[in-house]
Amino acid sequence: MEKVALTVNGFTQLVLVESHETILDTIRNRLNLTGTKKCCDEGTCGSCTIMMDGKPVLGCLTPTLRCVGKKILTIEGISAGENLHSVQKHLVKSLGLQCGFCTPGVVMTAVPFLEENPKPSRDEIKENLSGNLCRCTGYKKIIDAVENAAEEMQS
Amino acid sequence: MEYYHSPDTIQDAFSIAEKCDGNFIYFAGGTDVQIYRKQNLDKNDHIIDLSSIHDLNSISLKDGNLTLGAMTSLGDIITSNKIQNKYPLLVEAAKSVATPVIRKTATIGGNILVRNRCTFYNQSQEWRNGVGSCLRDVGDICQVTGGKNDCYSRNVSDTAAALIALNAEITLLNSAGVSQQPLKDIFLPCGIKFHDLGNDNILTQISVSMKPKRWWYKKLRLRKTLDFTSLTVAATIDINNIARICLNGVSMTPILIEEPLETLTLENLIKQARKNCKTVDNDLMPLKYRREMINVFLEEWWEYEHRK
Amino acid sequence: MSGAIGKPTPYIDAVQKVTGQAMYADDFKFPNMLYVRFLRSTESHAKIKSLNVTEVEASSGVVAVITGKDIPQPFGVLSISRDETAMAIEKVRYQGEIVAAVAAETIEAAEAAVKRFRVEYEPIKEFYTPEDSLKTCESHEQIHPHTKDHKNIHKTAELRFNEPEKELETAKHKQTGNFKFAGVTHGFTEPHSAVAMWNGDETLTVISATQVPHYLHKNLSKVLGLPLHKIQVKKPVLGGGFGGKSDPFPHEMIVSYLAMKTKRPVKCTFSREEVFITHHGRHPTEIAMSISCDDDGKLTALDTDIIIDGGAFGSFGVVTSYYNGVLLQGPYKLDKFGFRTRRTYTNKHQCGAMRGHGAVNPRYAVETLLDMMAHDMKMDPCDLREKNFLSEHSSTVGEFRITSNGIRDCIAAVRKKSDWDNRYGKLPFGRGLGVACGFFISGSALPILWNRYPQTVVHAKLDFDGRIVMFSGASEIGQGSDTMLVQIAAEELGIPMDFVQVEVADTKTTPVDLGSYSSRVTFMVGNAAKTAASNVRSEMAKAIAKEKDVSAESLIFKNGRIFTKDKSLDISWEEGVEMAMAGRGAFVESGFYISPKLGGKFKGAGAGLSPSYSFGAFISEVEVNPKTGETNVKKVWGAHDCGKALNPLAVEGQIEGSIHMGLGQVMSEEMRYNNGQQMNANFFDYRIPSSLDTPDMDVTIIESNDPEGPYGAKEAGEGPIHPVLPSIGNAVFDAVGIRMMELPITPDKVLKKLKETA
Ligand SMILES: Cc1cc2nc3c(=O)[nH]c(=O)nc-3n(C[C@H](O)[C@H](O)[C@H](O)COP(=O)(O)OP(=O)(O)OC[C@H]3O[C@@H](n4cnc5c(N)ncnc54)[C@H](O)[C@@H]3O)c2cc1C
Ligand code: SF4
Ligand code: FES
Ligand code: FES
Repeated sequence: MEKVALTVNGFTQLVLVESHETILDTIRNRLNLTGTKKCCDEGTCGSCTIMMDGKPVLGCLTPTLRCVGKKILTIEGISAGENLHSVQKHLVKSLGLQCGFCTPGVVMTAVPFLEENPKPSRDEIKENLSGNLCRCTGYKKIIDAVENAAEEMQS
Repeated sequence: MEYYHSPDTIQDAFSIAEKCDGNFIYFAGGTDVQIYRKQNLDKNDHIIDLSSIHDLNSISLKDGNLTLGAMTSLGDIITSNKIQNKYPLLVEAAKSVATPVIRKTATIGGNILVRNRCTFYNQSQEWRNGVGSCLRDVGDICQVTGGKNDCYSRNVSDTAAALIALNAEITLLNSAGVSQQPLKDIFLPCGIKFHDLGNDNILTQISVSMKPKRWWYKKLRLRKTLDFTSLTVAATIDINNIARICLNGVSMTPILIEEPLETLTLENLIKQARKNCKTVDNDLMPLKYRREMINVFLEEWWEYEHRK
Repeated sequence: MSGAIGKPTPYIDAVQKVTGQAMYADDFKFPNMLYVRFLRSTESHAKIKSLNVTEVEASSGVVAVITGKDIPQPFGVLSISRDETAMAIEKVRYQGEIVAAVAAETIEAAEAAVKRFRVEYEPIKEFYTPEDSLKTCESHEQIHPHTKDHKNIHKTAELRFNEPEKELETAKHKQTGNFKFAGVTHGFTEPHSAVAMWNGDETLTVISATQVPHYLHKNLSKVLGLPLHKIQVKKPVLGGGFGGKSDPFPHEMIVSYLAMKTKRPVKCTFSREEVFITHHGRHPTEIAMSISCDDDGKLTALDTDIIIDGGAFGSFGVVTSYYNGVLLQGPYKLDKFGFRTRRTYTNKHQCGAMRGHGAVNPRYAVETLLDMMAHDMKMDPCDLREKNFLSEHSSTVGEFRITSNGIRDCIAAVRKKSDWDNRYGKLPFGRGLGVACGFFISGSALPILWNRYPQTVVHAKLDFDGRIVMFSGASEIGQGSDTMLVQIAAEELGIPMDFVQVEVADTKTTPVDLGSYSSRVTFMVGNAAKTAASNVRSEMAKAIAKEKDVSAESLIFKNGRIFTKDKSLDISWEEGVEMAMAGRGAFVESGFYISPKLGGKFKGAGAGLSPSYSFGAFISEVEVNPKTGETNVKKVWGAHDCGKALNPLAVEGQIEGSIHMGLGQVMSEEMRYNNGQQMNANFFDYRIPSSLDTPDMDVTIIESNDPEGPYGAKEAGEGPIHPVLPSIGNAVFDAVGIRMMELPITPDKVLKKLKETA
């Protein structure tokens, strides 16, 4: 076990972790930030997507010890409790979610994507979400939501 | 016990590697090797994470020669206008790897060195306990062929196929010094030890100087994302009209066929490819179909090359 | 309707879900909690000769180790096939079956302990395919002792009406086909997870990712020998089910038993591989089917023989066996009809219910044969279908009562939108259009366990705060049932939706609902909720009428106000609440739903009975690469008759999700085995379509206004999947002229067929 300082959602704390642990297990099990979901634990679904220094990464493939000194942002840190991010707002509005289990990963993929690509085409959105497995929605309404969010963020 | 090291410089990496005496694995992005660790297929005690070594992350294009730091992410390669303009083949290949989010972490070096795959091997420990371990793990027969000597796990690197077709060179560094060699030469025709990097060697650079006149790329997979390849073909024609066709996903190594376009015939190309590819039934796409697709892909390239 | 009903309505729990606040089973953590890991069988069929429990017990952090004989009571969702125990007893029946369980202080400690198990097995002959299981064997080789004639046949379901075989013998226009379907699985994103707690008052609380809290409740009681009133089952937010969480499961029994034994909270969450091993998905199926019709294209007979590969245990298999046959009775009128389904036990993980339960594969078969018929008779496939539709308010040969039926509107809609008449049969080689229809139950009219109670009860509670709380056992699994409860109460009481909240799926606090399966929730729970809420309204109206001296009937509840038409009385909702509660306080009104008595008197008449049926018609467009055999689905037009869309957003979502899941089965998903062991128990190789693989979708909602559905509504969650698959298969024929009789339609099969027909 190692004691390390992790900065998650703007707050730095000391955590005791195993050296082989992934950040997904650390945030869920040790920091009790259970919004990030574990669905496959091997990179194939995108449910565990979080941000590391502004870049989306898969929590289940990222060693916790790699996150030391980095800024980690999880779904809990996205809307800071008050206003929903446009992506979240439109996922709600367009029913871009059903069971909701893939949703945190979708948000954490779409938010940095729109930051990088403020005016994406529908095909680009589709492509960018292609690592986010959703078994409920057939993706259509998720793509609608991201499209609408992009438009809203433009204006 | 497991230990995690995160050196900031290559020199530090080497000194850690030396202390670990072979009992270590390098993590670049870690997107491939992490799963091997979870499945107890990589049992080394020490992880040496190269992701903090920033001077390995670079894209430079000088006089048309491309030099990539090994830790450059596939995502950065895809979005680089320079590469898109000069080496669209590499971009195509990089785009066909994994998923967009993974590509932001996955490195070009890691992709070139991605570990060989087999349906009987890339499974959990519990799964392997059921079927019985194989040659490449701790068992003594190959679950695919029943043989006792050879492992036919497949090299699945999409970018290696593209880079070999581009006649790329790589730079290796170890505590003794730097060495350079053609990328194609590091691969070994063995599913267990599929490349010859030497123990503590770090791949630092990939360079491409060939300027292809034409290129072609195609990857066989069931879905338009995420799937490892069932057959990748990358082909180039250089200024001297040499054709370089590299097939991957169908043998233990990438298979390169290099010949002047003038003397190359389709029949001969297919014959060579079929002969050199040691394709066995270790992918979920049926063997017969994968073999057939070697022909079809090569024919398609041929048609493209000879179109009016 | 003036209120919430019929309006596109975001889910009431959507904000929770989108912010990561929603609590799924694995998100619960309790003080002093133990974690469970399992030893799973490495053999497919074998006697357990020895197991070294003591050594494992000694492992660090281990609190309890249990094996099959600790929980010997068999269970199963159907009372007629309770053939499963929490862990293997004496022998294992499939690779991956749980043999022992370890509860430890941490997951790692439990994992480490499990590695110390040493098991000795003595192999028994394995049965991997239905062909093997249909043959006679030695009695000690039987997978289960209760099967007859020394064969491993779990169930034979057969019904015949008016000798279809005779008609088929002499029919002039006849089509016959042999079809083969790989097994597929639900692929919900949330792995199974359950937490059990033994409470100080000697009661058990189980929080589990289940679609059927009620059946889990009953099975727990049986297995643990604990009276029903001492068990509370709670369903937290659920990450998808699709039928895969609609059985009581071994791990639920195990955590409960361990909680009782250790008096500590006990949790178990599956890995993705364990989810695949647990399976309960769609049966691998072989179908031989024949249909005939007269010169006019009117169907005269259908006969089919079906074999389904059930795996090691029963699950819903008896129902599946019937559904494979009986749900062929629509949407086309058939007078001569027969089927036989045999479900075999095999030494593989068990199959069960999955979206479109039992009817998906035979639907593919019949719609393909119809297409072949149309082709041979040089008729348009849409025209042929239109000649044969059941009419509204009619009855099928097996005495299913058909009420509302919007099938004609469905086919008209997709025909028009896809420009079928101008494009079908006229697209260039490699491109094609295909059509297919569908038919499904809207709730099973009979409960799984026979009883005299209604199928669901809903309570609506009114208190001084003006809030309505809807208490229902219904299980929200992403389909939107919680939102529906709120919409209905808001509609009935004329109040904004934010005045209504739900308390759901908790067997201690909510009235019984049978669960989220067989597309029953909207129809049954919707009706009960409507009654409950309108009873609250009547009670309020009575009290207000008395106090204000107006007639109760003249009161209108709308926009948060209660008024008479001439506005001589016009009070706010809150004022109304106060009057209603004066002298009596908070009150609860209930509503329930019991299905009307339906169906014939013959044996098997109950299978497939439903108070209402849904209908649909889909057209798909594909592109086939004749060189590689790759098929690309470009677009799907789907029209589904859901009676009335209470929430059009949710209905669209269900149809779109069905298209995605149907596409997966028809194009790329398939359970692959090597000697009974699944080769692709992961999302690398079990290939669920990604956003890039999913085609454009054009969804049309058809509203036929069912006379008995709440506001006219019936199901939309499962029916839309059926036509997806055959519409794609038929489009492949239009594109390149080959009939795909085996699913999934992978490129290798297409290429093989193309070569054969060239
Ligand atoms: C869902 C999913 C889908 C995938 N799909 C594909 C796919 O389609 N095609 C494909 O090729 N791969 C695929 N991968 C595997 C992997 O993501 C990619 O190959 C990726 O490019 C590997 O890069 P990495 O930096 O993460 O490598 P790592 O995992 O860090 O390393 C891979 C190997 O290379 C060695 N290594 C890496 N860098 C160096 C270096 N500089 N010097 C010496 N040794 C080094 C490591 O020790 C290790 O053995 C997929 C992975 C996942 C999880
Ligand atoms: S090819 Fe044979 S030896 Fe090699 S990994 Fe596969 S099963 Fe093992
Ligand atoms: S849980 Fe990380 S990608 Fe699936
Ligand atoms: S909403 Fe259920 S998986 Fe996406």
